[in-house]
Amino acid sequence: MQAQTKNETPSLKAENLAQFLQTEFKKYRSAADFVSFKMIREKTRDYSVRNGKAEDLTEFVDLGLMIEVMVSGHIGYGATCELTADGIKRAFERALNMTRTSASRAVYKFDKNIRPAVQGTYSTSRKVRLDKLSLTEIFDYLKKTSLGLKTNDKIISAVSDAMLIECTQNYFSSEGTEIFQEFDIIVNSMSATASDGKESQTRSLHGGRGNCIQGGAEYFQLDNALRECETISREALELLTAENCPSETCDLILAPDQMLLQIHESIGHPLELDRILGDERNFAGWSFVQPADFGHLQYGSPIMNVVFDPAGANQLASYNFDDVGNKADKKYLIKSGKLEAALGSLESQTRSKISGVANARSSSWNRAPIDRMANINLEGGDLSLDQMIAKVERGVIMYSNRSWSIDDYRRKFQFGCEYGKLIENGKVTKTLKNPNYRGVTVPFWNALSGLTTTDTIESYGSPYCGKGEPSQVIRVGHASPYALFKNIEVFGGG
Amino acid sequence: MQTYLKSLSEKLFNELKGNEELSIGLHSEESEFVRFNHSLVRQNTHVHQHEATFQFQNDGRTYAKTATLTLDPETDLALGRDTITEMRAVLPLIDPSPKYTPMVNNGTSEVFQKSERPPVEKVINHITDVFSKSDLAGFYCAGPLRQASLNSKGQSHYFENDSFFFDYSVYDGPRAAKGYYADSQWDEARFDKQASQAKNTLSLLAKPQIKVKPGAYRTYLAPMAVAEIAEIFNWRAVSRSQYEQGFTPLKKLFTREQLFSPHFSLIENNSLGLNSHFNTIGEISPSVLPIIENGEMKNFLINSATAKEYNLVSNNADAGMWSSEVMRSMEIRAGTLADEQILKELGTGLYLTNLHYINWSDPQAARLTGMTRFACFWVENGEIAGPIQDLRFDDSLYNIFGTELAALTKDRSRFTNTLTYQKRRLGGMMVPGALLNKMNFTL
Ligand SMILES: [Zn+2]
Repeated sequence: MQAQTKNETPSLKAENLAQFLQTEFKKYRSAADFVSFKMIREKTRDYSVRNGKAEDLTEFVDLGLMIEVMVSGHIGYGATCELTADGIKRAFERALNMTRTSASRAVYKFDKNIRPAVQGTYSTSRKVRLDKLSLTEIFDYLKKTSLGLKTNDKIISAVSDAMLIECTQNYFSSEGTEIFQEFDIIVNSMSATASDGKESQTRSLHGGRGNCIQGGAEYFQLDNALRECETISREALELLTAENCPSETCDLILAPDQMLLQIHESIGHPLELDRILGDERNFAGWSFVQPADFGHLQYGSPIMNVVFDPAGANQLASYNFDDVGNKADKKYLIKSGKLEAALGSLESQTRSKISGVANARSSSWNRAPIDRMANINLEGGDLSLDQMIAKVERGVIMYSNRSWSIDDYRRKFQFGCEYGKLIENGKVTKTLKNPNYRGVTVPFWNALSGLTTTDTIESYGSPYCGKGEPSQVIRVGHASPYALFKNIEVFGGG
Repeated sequence: MQTYLKSLSEKLFNELKGNEELSIGLHSEESEFVRFNHSLVRQNTHVHQHEATFQFQNDGRTYAKTATLTLDPETDLALGRDTITEMRAVLPLIDPSPKYTPMVNNGTSEVFQKSERPPVEKVINHITDVFSKSDLAGFYCAGPLRQASLNSKGQSHYFENDSFFFDYSVYDGPRAAKGYYADSQWDEARFDKQASQAKNTLSLLAKPQIKVKPGAYRTYLAPMAVAEIAEIFNWRAVSRSQYEQGFTPLKKLFTREQLFSPHFSLIENNSLGLNSHFNTIGEISPSVLPIIENGEMKNFLINSATAKEYNLVSNNADAGMWSSEVMRSMEIRAGTLADEQILKELGTGLYLTNLHYINWSDPQAARLTGMTRFACFWVENGEIAGPIQDLRFDDSLYNIFGTELAALTKDRSRFTNTLTYQKRRLGGMMVPGALLNKMNFTL
């Protein structure tokens, strides 16, 4: 791997900036009850090739500072990319003034425990750093895979795309916190759209942008990718002549690349404690989960075990500390189907007295941290995929999410997939197009009746989970086995 | 900011050699964000954010790099120079682009808009006072937002809009009513009047909840609900590049196999003052572009890249994510239904003020699904019978704006874009309410 030409502006060099911020921080650290500085630098290279030709080649270097100030138990925020002494002064003063007024009208008065004093680091598990991957290498990979998808004239659009993100965070606070975390992230998507003039169908690598990991340049293995291309393109063509998914109530097997969405929308979001506390009511929504449900609600069938796991190697949302310095550890959210803990940060835990996790997260330097998912995973069961299929008299297997919709309480959902297979008398019989299903969260999870074994678990995620006012996207990871649900309403297109 | 950018750009344009072309796009904002819950402040954030996008072209190749600016002249100039050097080095490593269009001078212009408002501290106090006896959740957003597009051919467009909005909802347990306040000038009397309207709507919801079974019902969609549905046009439907790549919900409309209702017209209307007068690359947007007129498809949105690739004529559209063209200032033409006639004309059916989380359920059939949200009622013989439990709909645009569209309201509402993912957005829409003979509910 050849190194990128490095041509960094001296005053923007990481080590110079870190030092500058330390000096600046000293000026302000005693100017409020609590003060913290967090500098985030994120470089994103987003390259896309369509039908073998350059589509978009863009790069974004986002660099800025988030200042937190606490006044009378209320925390307010000031963010700036004006990384000069004057710029920081302006940001600090604006934050302090707004926070003084807000403190007299604050939802809750916290103490300093919501910003623990810790020191530590984190770095993505990888063999070769992403900054070692040159434009030529990645462009070549995308060209070859894009052409690998275009196996036939009926494939009218063959897109191969890679988003490479290098992110560093320096955080220090008046409590003595010092944290450095760095992340290398890859979002790699490939998709083929087939059309015969009348029908048009798209098949992709695990759905839109579902294929995302933390990892290094070693991820890009062209031989493997070309094999994936062949399958994607074959299945896209297959869908042109496939039957529509039938409309009926039958068994449903969801592949891990659809389970990612099912877990995300119907477990992750309703368990976010800030939603339960009503912070999100005006935008993302509330939750059907009530504070009294923790420790009591039978969320799903007894084989359902769901964890918050920030330590999954190469999972998209792994970290050691959340964005307020809370040390992140694995925790069961749902055990044997029973609801145990919430996705609530230190602030939400204090407000609600409900057990939570380290999940105060911001999309970047310009947004305040809110309760978020990270890696939310469903644990494996005892079936092989063949055994699971053999248990089904009549049912559908659905792969790769393409449509998602759920109400603001996270009860009534309807999801659609790219590709389906019909199961009749324990055997896979034919391919189905436009497979969709709908249901209601708690009855649906209680209809869970089989999971494949731990070694079949696949991990995906999303770089774009949206929430918050102002709005923010966050990266989430979801690992799951294949899952069997009994008596679900499925239907097709048209 | 305008002078700062001009001086920085001139220095960078002087760095170019031979046939190299450079454009500089600016996004800059100074924003006050206040988030409320239980009629109190949950979080307050002030943001100074400035980004420059440097697009560098030569020899049929193009590369774009965006970076945050520090507003320190020396640092930003060094950053710009380094960026040019870097892009000059990478350009020969990539292939020519089939969508390449040489830069041209699209002229010079500047527009300044400002909505007067009290300082944020006063706004916080007023909101918490007016709603002190209510349970309010909401979001106040204010401050200047600037966009500019300059290039080495001499083009220079600048737009600055200093505005505010307050997007909120009030609650009585699980019952909720939505409110929204934006104005050319903060007017306390108008703000208070809208606040009482939201509180009044909430009191209408006090009646016992009615459980409506899935099925097809005569339905009235208030402007905010129509706006939610109309957003789907921007989800790849009116984009020509997406159409060419096989995403074709409006194919039957385009080929005239199926039409929308003759009452339905969808227009990209840049004269509404909701967005900047130029697109990302500085082309001047047409003031009015009909997309669907009296039920017939007139135009897709086509940007210069799509025009180049498919040999079409550009209508200076703007591209959103994944190079998909999007409407920036959407208008749906008004109808004749008077507000006071709505309940009577609806008769018996659903009155929906808001919808939520809409997505294509079968894009090829233009079918979409979503949920009811906030204040939604069951109406019997022109009288509100009570609030409903949330329902899921799944229906086609060809029904909603086609065969089942009974009437559109005379009065329309304007909505400015409230999304602030990564940065604040311009744009918005102006839409009427819609009465449907029937709408299909599935869950
Ligand atoms: Zn999400």
